[in-house]
Amino acid sequence: MVADPIVSIRDLSKVYRQGEIQVTALNQVSIDIQTGEFVVLMGPSGSGKSTLLHIIAGIDRASSGSVLVQGINVANLTESQLADWRNQNVGFVFQSFNLIPVLTAAENVELPLLLTALGRAERRRQVALALDLVGLADRGHHRPDQMSGGQQQRVAIARALVTDPTLIVADEPTGNLDAKSATDVLSILQALSRDSRKTVIMVTHDPKAAGYGTRSLHLEKGEIVA
Amino acid sequence: MALPLNYNIRNVLVRWRTTLFTVLGIGAVVLVFLGLRALGRGIEATNANTGDSRNLLVVRKGSQAESGSLVSREQFRTLRDLPGIARNAAGEPLVSAELVMIVSAPRRDEVGEANTLIRGVTPRGMELRSQVALVEGRWFRAGQREVVVSSRLARRFAGFEVGGTIKAGPDRLTVVGHFDGRGSAFDSEAWMDADESRALFDREQYSSVLLRPADDSLAAGLIQRIDHDKRLALRAEREVDYYSKQTMTAKPINYLAGILGTAMSVGAVFAAMNTMYASVGARTREIGTLRVLGYSRRSIVLCFLIEGVLLALLGGILGCATAWGLQVELAAFNVSFGTLDFQSFAETVFQFRVTPDLMLLGLGFSVVIGLAGSLLPALRAARLPVIVALKSL
Amino acid sequence: MNLPTFILKNALRNRRRALLTVLSVGISCALLVTLLTLQRELTVPPESQAASLRIIARNKVSLAQPLPAKQLRVIERIPGVVAVSPFTYFGGNFRDETLTSFAQFAVDPVRFRGLLVEARVMEGSYEAFEKDRLSCMVGIETVGRYGLRIGDRMKFTGTFYPVDLDLKIAAVFGGTIDDRGVFFHHKLLDELSGDPGTVGTWYIRAASPEVANDVIARLNGAFANTAAEVRAETERAFQLGFVSMLGNVKMLVLLISGAVVFTLSLVTISTMSMAIRERFRELAVLKALGFQRRELFAFILAESFGLAALGALLGVGGAWALWTHLDLQKLTSGFLIYFEVTPRIMAWGAAVAALMGVVAALPPAWQTARMSVTEGLQTLD
Repeated sequence: MVADPIVSIRDLSKVYRQGEIQVTALNQVSIDIQTGEFVVLMGPSGSGKSTLLHIIAGIDRASSGSVLVQGINVANLTESQLADWRNQNVGFVFQSFNLIPVLTAAENVELPLLLTALGRAERRRQVALALDLVGLADRGHHRPDQMSGGQQQRVAIARALVTDPTLIVADEPTGNLDAKSATDVLSILQALSRDSRKTVIMVTHDPKAAGYGTRSLHLEKGEIVA
Repeated sequence: MALPLNYNIRNVLVRWRTTLFTVLGIGAVVLVFLGLRALGRGIEATNANTGDSRNLLVVRKGSQAESGSLVSREQFRTLRDLPGIARNAAGEPLVSAELVMIVSAPRRDEVGEANTLIRGVTPRGMELRSQVALVEGRWFRAGQREVVVSSRLARRFAGFEVGGTIKAGPDRLTVVGHFDGRGSAFDSEAWMDADESRALFDREQYSSVLLRPADDSLAAGLIQRIDHDKRLALRAEREVDYYSKQTMTAKPINYLAGILGTAMSVGAVFAAMNTMYASVGARTREIGTLRVLGYSRRSIVLCFLIEGVLLALLGGILGCATAWGLQVELAAFNVSFGTLDFQSFAETVFQFRVTPDLMLLGLGFSVVIGLAGSLLPALRAARLPVIVALKSL
Repeated sequence: MNLPTFILKNALRNRRRALLTVLSVGISCALLVTLLTLQRELTVPPESQAASLRIIARNKVSLAQPLPAKQLRVIERIPGVVAVSPFTYFGGNFRDETLTSFAQFAVDPVRFRGLLVEARVMEGSYEAFEKDRLSCMVGIETVGRYGLRIGDRMKFTGTFYPVDLDLKIAAVFGGTIDDRGVFFHHKLLDELSGDPGTVGTWYIRAASPEVANDVIARLNGAFANTAAEVRAETERAFQLGFVSMLGNVKMLVLLISGAVVFTLSLVTISTMSMAIRERFRELAVLKALGFQRRELFAFILAESFGLAALGALLGVGGAWALWTHLDLQKLTSGFLIYFEVTPRIMAWGAAVAALMGVVAALPPAWQTARMSVTEGLQTLD
């Protein structure tokens, strides 16, 4: 491809201390990711795949190396700039959904929009759109504890989508779901990358889940092995 | 089947941050309660520690304190001549007619004045009060405008140091010495010559008469005789009984301790409840596990009650220890407290007194707080269904 | 939904804890208000317009020492004195009481009329009181408390004076700052105690507040170096003198207030940190979604402050309602009279609680600001 990659990672390392021991989570990793790709990061526990995802998403910092997202070096942003950057550019999907229990599905989806300048009516329109996209248009007024795990995860995807981010990052999104719900979630993510040209990066250790991606990267001991 | 106590102790300590706040809060409640009761106890102890059990005090019928009592010279003579009164080595009857007056004097530390009690006392009166001993300077001389004040009182009033003067209207009294009343009500007094005091204050009459029966078996008879003599209109009482009844000043303080202690402990119960509910919430899965292992609901309730009591008891111990430390510090710096005695209408000086029974009361107080604060959370823990408890994350 | 709704929903998430927090803050606040009111009651005697004109002259030795009755002629002639009456505290016990809470004073009824100018005779007539040497005038509160009527007899046992009184109620007064007292003829007291030619104190009214100080100086000067030196002061200063006699009480109340505030802050701080710790992971999620530190801080602050404010409202309002509607005078047999919860005291109570709300938000807010998102997400995983 001739287009610049949307994510360009060069020589990324992450070292942290765990008590007395120094742990190398990532060792000189370099990757390019193009717009519309659905990249699946795989590897055993402690391979550094989650750390890589967190650093790309701007919720963790690297020890050395650079992460350019749309030409912006995320590592150079201040804590406060990073927060704004995440709000505008990254949509998160977590393994354990992480919905706010006191809020309804629609309110949970609306949460990131509260940080934007959008008016109430526009916010509602966006929320409805996002919920429709994950097939929960009629569940907006339900609270998380009134929904199944699959539904909760779809609400979480809607929350990740609603700001129309550049990147959608998913950390084991099917880890807490049954097979049927997992398929639903993966199909939605796949559709996002294929039909809406969203860039999706997903961490998983389920080989079946990996089949939904356009590219798989295997990590072991902080290095990409395949 | 109960869980080992070690389990409870560890649980209380593992959440040390929340625990610390609750313990400190309960400690403050116990401290306030104990502190106030210690002041009340100080006043009571002062009065309970006053007088000689062999002595009888005679005052006017209807008067509530010596300062409101009047005894005429005639009445005094009648009393002196009563049969059955002890005599000293020199053969003089041990009877002392005394005048109690109140003089307004400026305070040493703050602006304002307060009343001090001046007692005109005879050599027999001093003989009858062995509690009082000179600690500095000398005793007053008969016929002189000289006064000896209690060393505790001297610390509270300006000009009460040896060599200082007390102004009584146009007249001045020179302070020639300090005495120590050994924690009795005499620590709130200043003594001068009885006749001189009557001249100074222009009084014909005395305030009270202190006397000692020749034998203790004669005391009851003497009391009856004085009480029943219609002409005398006087009332005799054992000196110790008279003082131990002067507890009115302690009442409002003890009252305040009760009200404040109760109100504050309600607040502390809420705080303890918060902590215990949080503990139950965080340990939902653990409780489920214990139930699966075979612990009964009762032992779960017991477990949380014990933790609540442990938590509160820590606070109680802290409160008691602080109160005790306060007493030691106050004693080390010789600090005494003073307030208006409602009966004598003069400043009464007393000590901060934390007694073992008060400390037990404080600990009991904290245990009640602990029980009240942990009962509902404990019941909630016991009612958690085993499955839900295990599923919870 | 908007941010305030979100904050409200969060604060009420754990309703039981919110309730317990509000209640404990409320109780501490009510206590603080009560203590401050007690302090005010003990240290600031009520003021009235008429009282600033009135002067009390006592024997310099002490209040317990009487003054010669013949001083009257000298005092009368002092310029600026418009009225003067003997004013002798009898200190008797009513009926079988062991400590009567209302005072009885022996006065000269004719002269006394010019002193208690603000009083209104509610029942009976002042003339009836003036005429009958064995009668008395009673404050409306005392009359109400004991269910007395005009013509009833009041018997007192003397504690300071070796005499007993049997008085007939001739008039009932009201409209003064303290409508409890009983006034009777000084002549009667003189007769009963064998004409000692003394009075307890002198009660004097100055022509205007401007000359009051002058009158006081002249009074003090008039009897200097006589056998009975006088100490004259305004009624208010006289009452403040009693406060000085109470000794360490003021310090004591302040110390206890301090302990209450201490407890209050402990409770609020521990509750807030509990509430935040429970929500650590959620705050991490919010952070991941792009919420800034200051926004998270605002959430925590708003919640903490809100709960504290609610508690303050409840506590201050409750204390106000309680002390305003409770007949404390009856409950404490006259020890506490007005116990007025002033706006100033209420403001203090509320301010302390609000401050606690803010202070309690600081440690969890700091913790949240410091936490990294990944750490926060891991806390419960």
